[in-house]
Amino acid sequence: MVPVSYYVALSAILFSIGTLGVLIRRNAIVIFMSVELMLNSANLLFVAFSRLYDLEGQIFVFFVMTVAAAEVAVGLAMIVAVFRNKRSIDIDQISSMKG
Amino acid sequence: MTPDVILFLILAVVAIASALGMLLSKNAVYSALYLILNLATIAVFYLLLGAPFIAMVQVTVYAGAIMVLFLFVIMLLGAEQLRRARTLGWQQPVAVVLAVVLVAEATYIIFTKTSSLPDIEAAEAGFGSPQAIGELLFNQYLLPFEITSVLLLVAMIGAIVMTRDGKKKE
Amino acid sequence: MFTPEMILAILPEISLLVLVGVILVVDLSISKERKGILAWLTVGGLALTFVLTFLLSRPGDETELWGGMIRHDWLAYIFNLVFLFGAGITALFAIGWEQVGKRGEFYILLLTSTLGMSLMSAAGDLIMLFLAIETASIPLYVLAGFMTKDEKSPEAGFKYLLFGAMTTAVMLYGFTLLYGFSGGETNIYELAANIQAGELPVLVSLGTLLLVLVGFGFKVSMVPFHFWAPDVYEGAPTPVAGFLSTASKAAGFAVMIRFLLVIFPAANIPQWVIVIGVISVLSMALGNTLALAQKNIKRLLAYSSIAHAGYVLMGVAAAAHTSLGVTSVVYYLIVYLVTSLAAFGVVAIVWHTTGSDDVSAYDGLSRRSPMLAVAMLVAFLSLAGVPPFGGFIAKVLVIASAVDADLIWLAVLGVLNAIIGLYYYLIVLKHVYLFRSDEDETPIKVARPHAVALTICIISIIILGVVLAPWFEWTSFAADAIF
Repeated sequence: MVPVSYYVALSAILFSIGTLGVLIRRNAIVIFMSVELMLNSANLLFVAFSRLYDLEGQIFVFFVMTVAAAEVAVGLAMIVAVFRNKRSIDIDQISSMKG
Repeated sequence: MTPDVILFLILAVVAIASALGMLLSKNAVYSALYLILNLATIAVFYLLLGAPFIAMVQVTVYAGAIMVLFLFVIMLLGAEQLRRARTLGWQQPVAVVLAVVLVAEATYIIFTKTSSLPDIEAAEAGFGSPQAIGELLFNQYLLPFEITSVLLLVAMIGAIVMTRDGKKKE
Repeated sequence: MFTPEMILAILPEISLLVLVGVILVVDLSISKERKGILAWLTVGGLALTFVLTFLLSRPGDETELWGGMIRHDWLAYIFNLVFLFGAGITALFAIGWEQVGKRGEFYILLLTSTLGMSLMSAAGDLIMLFLAIETASIPLYVLAGFMTKDEKSPEAGFKYLLFGAMTTAVMLYGFTLLYGFSGGETNIYELAANIQAGELPVLVSLGTLLLVLVGFGFKVSMVPFHFWAPDVYEGAPTPVAGFLSTASKAAGFAVMIRFLLVIFPAANIPQWVIVIGVISVLSMALGNTLALAQKNIKRLLAYSSIAHAGYVLMGVAAAAHTSLGVTSVVYYLIVYLVTSLAAFGVVAIVWHTTGSDDVSAYDGLSRRSPMLAVAMLVAFLSLAGVPPFGGFIAKVLVIASAVDADLIWLAVLGVLNAIIGLYYYLIVLKHVYLFRSDEDETPIKVARPHAVALTICIISIIILGVVLAPWFEWTSFAADAIF
């Protein structure tokens, strides 16, 4: 069978890609998608560990998905609100506050 | 190499490639589509790991509902393409801290700790089934389950608050 | 299946939820002119919840309830009261604010966020903790962006959300590793026992600590996860900024002390004290020096808030060795809550009349409104740590705990920072008392609810600074409750 360490490695790679996306992309929506990728890498690891131990990991994933749905709903609504004001979702342009 | 490992490797390549695709696509719509592929691949992993219920939720809620919302907003705002620009000041230190922690952690874990973890065995019948999940959810995890209802209510109200008055203004 | 203890343990949450329901219905059924009643309903409901919690929800013998999801102990009890108090004062300051205080959604979001915070302080399980943090955060994101017609507010909300979502994802990854390496435990206390038995390698546990600390650090706005604070405070409606800097920060610390003190001593890594100590010094130094240069009072308070997170972290680091650590942290957070709420309250009131958040708008405040000037004086001197106000006792306690824990370097740096901090608080007071403006003759009106809220805060600051014994005893209960 597949060793758990393979899953740990895969999820670490996906998590790093997600983190990179958050840090290097300028498009607010793509940054947000990268956060979803980070959450998913954590979920994958939860399910893999849950296979080793007990079902608690799967329950955790269930709740993470609920939270992600709520966060995305609010986040996208905010992107729309910001866009109405600024006509842009470029992270550099929505920084009127500096200092 | 057993068929299991080969299957894992193929899926892992698809998952990583689609994640990179999301990261590197200039067009946000492509990014979203790559992410959907990635989420679907992860759903297959869930099936392999004895989590059929979570796999189905992943496909319907994540790849389905959430990503459709993303695509909808991208197209609504016409935000497919944005010029490439400099890096952001306030993110740099975070980036450094995260990168260091992450790389150290990942290398260390992969090469030392997890080799002692047991391999994954074939799932016994009923592991991760809706029934098993449901029983746990409505006994031990009843309180968190109830709290999610509050969370979803708030998300609904929040989304309405953020988008409602804009219309009146224009 | 349900015991009375279970219901009493979540009494504040139930009460808040009922209040949310009432406000939802009342908001729908009353005409636009009478929306002001919603604020009073919220304040009354919160006061009732506060009294009910105080009287009925006192921790009993049974601490682990709801399948280990929550712990009903003194730490949770005291923090619950703190959050309810903070929400009540915030609601009072929001009254009469056209874009904010006359909308039912504002109060609903405020109450659900408070609910999330009280669960955060009680959470005994990673799953509950994660959900509670999100239940507290998501309404706060929306509250920060609440004034959608404003230029800065939605931007502030969005920034807050993006940074929050990212740090939460990192924290979740830390949780995953904890779950995996503890042999499949999500209960914080059992997890600690398992880690101890399994003897995790130092590097793994330290790495996991850092991942989890990213999430907590964001909530308490410590360096290097403080970037959001000035921008968000500046853009958010002022009462919300006050709530963010006090209740939300207190919730973050409540989680942090429980988590760190339960899991990491068990994991046998003494290094975490150093990590926290260094972060504490950086937060104090950075907050205090950057605050010196600020022209906008909300940004100034934001940097001051980062510095105060540093002072509290001093107590957290000390808590590893002495029970005075947790006591001082709780005491500091209570004092900071009333003080900072008063400061943000004055800012909100001045903004109503002058429409400006610049420090120069405070020129001649002592002539325009002596009462506000006195409130500002008390709040800022308490923030600076001058006796006889609460801030002084709080600072003495954290520094004493650092000394008690043999962290002398930390205590010395803390004292030095307190002296630097004094300077910018006094600059603002100079504007208030010594400078003149052209509008000296136009008084600033203080609405009655705002005056009530300010008076409560000011009296609390003085009481916390003069009468020590009962509060100290309470906060020591909290310190004992963690284990």
